[in-house]
Amino acid sequence: MAAATDIQTVNIIVNGIELAVPKGELVVEAVKRLGLEIPIFCYHPRLKPVGMCRMCLVETGMKNPQDGTIRMMPKPAAACTLPVSEGLVINTESDALKKDRKGVLEFLLINHPLDCPICDRGGECPLQNNTLFYGPATSRFIEQKRHNVKAYPLSDYVTLDLERCIQCARCIRFTEEISGDSQLAFRFRGNKTHPITFNETKFTSKFSGNVIEICPVGALTNRKYRFRARPWDLQTSEAVCLNCSNGCNIWFDHRAGKVVRINARTNEAINEEWTCDKGKFGHDYYNDEKRLETPFARTGDELQKADYATVYAKLLEAFHGDNTGMILGDSLSNETYITAQNFFTGQLGSHNIDYRFSANQAKGASTVDNSIASLELAKTTLVFGTHLADDLPIVFLRVRKGWFNQGTQVILATDRSDEVSEFAAHTLVYKPGTEATIAKAFAGQVSVADAAAKCGISEPELQAAITAAAGATVITTTSLNHEAAEVLKALDGNFNAYPTGANERGAQLALACDGLSALEQLKKAANGELSALWVVGVDLFSVGLPREEVIRALENVDFLAVQDSRRTETFYYASVALPMTLPAEQDGSYTNCEGTTQQMKAIIPPVGQAKPAWRVFEELSIRVNPRMPFSQASEILASAPAFA
Amino acid sequence: MAEYKLLLKHSDDPATQTLAGYKKAGGYSGLAKALKMERQAVIDEVKTSGLRGRGGAGFPSWIKWNGLPKEKVKPHYVLCNADEGEPGTFKDKMLMETAPFQLIEGMTIAGFAVQGDVGYIYIRGEFIDAAKALRKAIDEAYANNLLGKNILGTDFSYDLHIHLGAGSYECGEESALMSSLMGERGMPRLKFPHAPLPTVSGVWERPTLINNVESYSCVPHIIDKGGEWYATLGASTKNSRGTKIFSVSGHVNKPGNYEIEFGTPLKELLEMAGGVKGGKLKACIPGGSSMPVIKPDAVDVAIIGYEEMGEVKSMVGSGGCMFFNEHTDIVMLAWRTAHFYANESCGKCTPCREGTRWMVQIMDRIVAGNGQKGDMELLTEVANNVEGRSFCALGDAAAWPIKAFIRQFPEEFEYWIEHGKSPVTSKEALALVP
Ligand SMILES: Cc1cc2nc3c(=O)[nH]c(=O)nc-3n(C[C@H](O)[C@H](O)[C@H](O)COP(=O)(O)O)c2cc1C
Ligand code: SF4
Ligand code: FES
Repeated sequence: MAAATDIQTVNIIVNGIELAVPKGELVVEAVKRLGLEIPIFCYHPRLKPVGMCRMCLVETGMKNPQDGTIRMMPKPAAACTLPVSEGLVINTESDALKKDRKGVLEFLLINHPLDCPICDRGGECPLQNNTLFYGPATSRFIEQKRHNVKAYPLSDYVTLDLERCIQCARCIRFTEEISGDSQLAFRFRGNKTHPITFNETKFTSKFSGNVIEICPVGALTNRKYRFRARPWDLQTSEAVCLNCSNGCNIWFDHRAGKVVRINARTNEAINEEWTCDKGKFGHDYYNDEKRLETPFARTGDELQKADYATVYAKLLEAFHGDNTGMILGDSLSNETYITAQNFFTGQLGSHNIDYRFSANQAKGASTVDNSIASLELAKTTLVFGTHLADDLPIVFLRVRKGWFNQGTQVILATDRSDEVSEFAAHTLVYKPGTEATIAKAFAGQVSVADAAAKCGISEPELQAAITAAAGATVITTTSLNHEAAEVLKALDGNFNAYPTGANERGAQLALACDGLSALEQLKKAANGELSALWVVGVDLFSVGLPREEVIRALENVDFLAVQDSRRTETFYYASVALPMTLPAEQDGSYTNCEGTTQQMKAIIPPVGQAKPAWRVFEELSIRVNPRMPFSQASEILASAPAFA
Repeated sequence: MAEYKLLLKHSDDPATQTLAGYKKAGGYSGLAKALKMERQAVIDEVKTSGLRGRGGAGFPSWIKWNGLPKEKVKPHYVLCNADEGEPGTFKDKMLMETAPFQLIEGMTIAGFAVQGDVGYIYIRGEFIDAAKALRKAIDEAYANNLLGKNILGTDFSYDLHIHLGAGSYECGEESALMSSLMGERGMPRLKFPHAPLPTVSGVWERPTLINNVESYSCVPHIIDKGGEWYATLGASTKNSRGTKIFSVSGHVNKPGNYEIEFGTPLKELLEMAGGVKGGKLKACIPGGSSMPVIKPDAVDVAIIGYEEMGEVKSMVGSGGCMFFNEHTDIVMLAWRTAHFYANESCGKCTPCREGTRWMVQIMDRIVAGNGQKGDMELLTEVANNVEGRSFCALGDAAAWPIKAFIRQFPEEFEYWIEHGKSPVTSKEALALVP
């Protein structure tokens, strides 16, 4: 057998079949090369193996290199912890192993409540599945089962049922190895051993939802989903999370046209198999009572239901030329941005179209040198002016993975310590507003002593961090102070100012932004100098602007069009309003922070008369200039060179 | 054969608990000799001696010693397992309390041989007196250049620390001991071939030597008098050399620690301890409560030696030798043993965590008078599913005795199951039942 040149391989024998596998690969993985599956509970490919549950027992032996005889070991061994070595012999099927597996499952089941009929996990439960394939048919256990805390609310999102727990430590290891908050641990010992938070405090991890999915039983359940459905009643569809710019791949589980839960969908390049809690639990807006279902038009003081034709007519009357503006949210589809630009500038003749609300964003566009996946390979990373776990949760997990797996040296410079400080080699907490100074210190443009004094950092600490950060990969967001961003960009290493809006990147690619900025439009509106303002998919009251300024702008603009999925505060100022579909209700594509464009298909029917924003723009567009409109989202994307 | 006091010699003379007294009794000549030898020669001497680990498993000590890297890259650690948790065993306690310098000297020689930098004595939490005795002795050794920098003017430097456990039998299992020493939960760690040997990557992922108190305490004698001399002790056995301390307890007239040469008949050990008290001999657990029980006919023929005890289907173990007279209720003994191991299971792996509790529940039911037909078979089956399937050997330690009790005394279990009460009805028996 020819061995590959770059990876060392060893020859092993699995169920009598010889094969060469990479040296050190775990037996549980190696046998998959033959299409074999060893039953597991505690083993998880993304967590360090622990060998606790003993479900994966196999027979092992050694082939004598001299005479080729095989000597088998008297005791079975855990396949999940055993690395392959030259001459290793593995048997995955035998009568003895059948008995061992039965034995382990019997042990796991004697104290398990067997409440599958009322358990959320029933139907998609590894314990059920393994029991079906390998377990005993009946129980010999006639004693009292171990009783323990049931339905214990670990947090607002996660419930713990300790009677169902099989003590596999997957949840604990997740918080230790992946999210890094180490909020879960075993308490007590022996058969009282169970996972819990320290002192039973609230489980506040920003990634808590993942433990629900990796728990091999129904011990950890999703409080937003508990008792809402049985898995086999659900339909599931591939989707992309649009709650932030990371673009996690998700399974969108729905029933009767309504979303019921979100699970992670594996994408090695983006989220691996994780999600953050914002994404996993933040889907209420789909079923929001305030969903906008019909168009509205104002008569006097009142907004009344109207039809599309009426509203379209009013829109086309109000909007033309450079005295009008359009402000879009940063989480809309690429198709929306492309058609908005075509329509608003091409047909209506206004260049005032924008999606940015911060002065910093307005100046610099996002610059990205690193894909998310490549961050785990960085030698040194400088996280600057962002709280990664909040702003870019999946980027956070990658940076941490790099540190955990291969020792990336992480330097954090920010206005308060956060999750990154837990593993950062250097944490610099600067006074808010001094970003530019500290950036210049990294670039050697100001003296370390001066910068330290100004930013409120000790000089030796700053010096040490600067020395360590030489050649570092910089990670920040598009909202970083512009001056600081420019300085950091000029440093030697890679520079990444990731956008944080769910499709900020797509907006940046599709929109020219060569007219009045959003802030300028609002200022003009406040002064009564803007005749019409069109607000698409954003509530101006929740973008961090002073309320009075927003109110003044909305009250002083002659005509306000609001296109949104729900009755936002802005909606109540509208002259006309149009209902908009949400991502799962429409075809569309979205470009995540690293620049990957991902497609989404309509999964559930739109609410009421809601339409995709791009369709509204197309319908209006042909009224101005009759032509063949785009009828599908895919045609729109193909038409835009920026997304080629 | 009679007692052979090699390690316990010092215990008779309280004066040896001071450095001066220990030296006067010949102490520290082993270290002085070792420091003049090549490191490898010290290891070879241990090899010649045939010393096997006294902690329970009887693993040849020199193989561990020889396993640490000769080219030192990282610091090397030397650990002493002084957790002595096995019920019936109390020899390490006595060795530490009455001959602390012997252990310190042994660990220092070991440290020299394996290029150790730091030694830790992991002491069972309850052994306050042992810890105090060692503290005093270590301080004295430091003050006299027998520990610390440049020991006896050589370039060998070595620190020795004491670490008190927090009360867990499992922390005597060597990898769990390392977890505990590092401040983690006292749970066992992956072992070879699932992970590198501790001699390559042990505590703090550094090369680590771990031996039992008694094992280290043999070392000064081996070096001082020579491995060859040591190997003459126990020469009558197949592969057990030197002396072994047995903690004799139970129904004997003179319970205590007895040091004997390997090859001594078990019967003689019983005689040394003054013979059975209060009745005829019924059973013996020769090597600590995890070892299989044997009956009087086996006691009569058993020869003390690692291989020899196998012939009567038991083991030398840690040397916690318990004798039971005819008034002993074996089922209650099994019940008590099952409770101990269930209480001490760390909870890491399924078979031990669940199996030990299940066995306890069945035993509880039997001694509550609710035994059922088939309980013996079920107990044996459960024990079989624990044995060899658990993460560490605690599962075996819990399974072996139960299986042996049932195998050796089936009629007592049958009686309990059928009648719901003890087959032992003598007046004396009542006092023994908890
Ligand atoms: C559950 C369990 C408990 C143990 N407890 C002890 C102990 O208390 N003291 C001890 O020396 N060895 C104990 N051992 C054996 C150790 O794991 C290890 O074999 C020993 O420390 C090695 O030293 P030695 O080679 O000198 O015997 C225990 C093993 C197991 C599986
Ligand atoms: S709660 Fe689930 S994941 Fe956590 S230890 Fe129990 S079974 Fe494993
Ligand atoms: S999967 Fe291997 S021991 Fe749990």
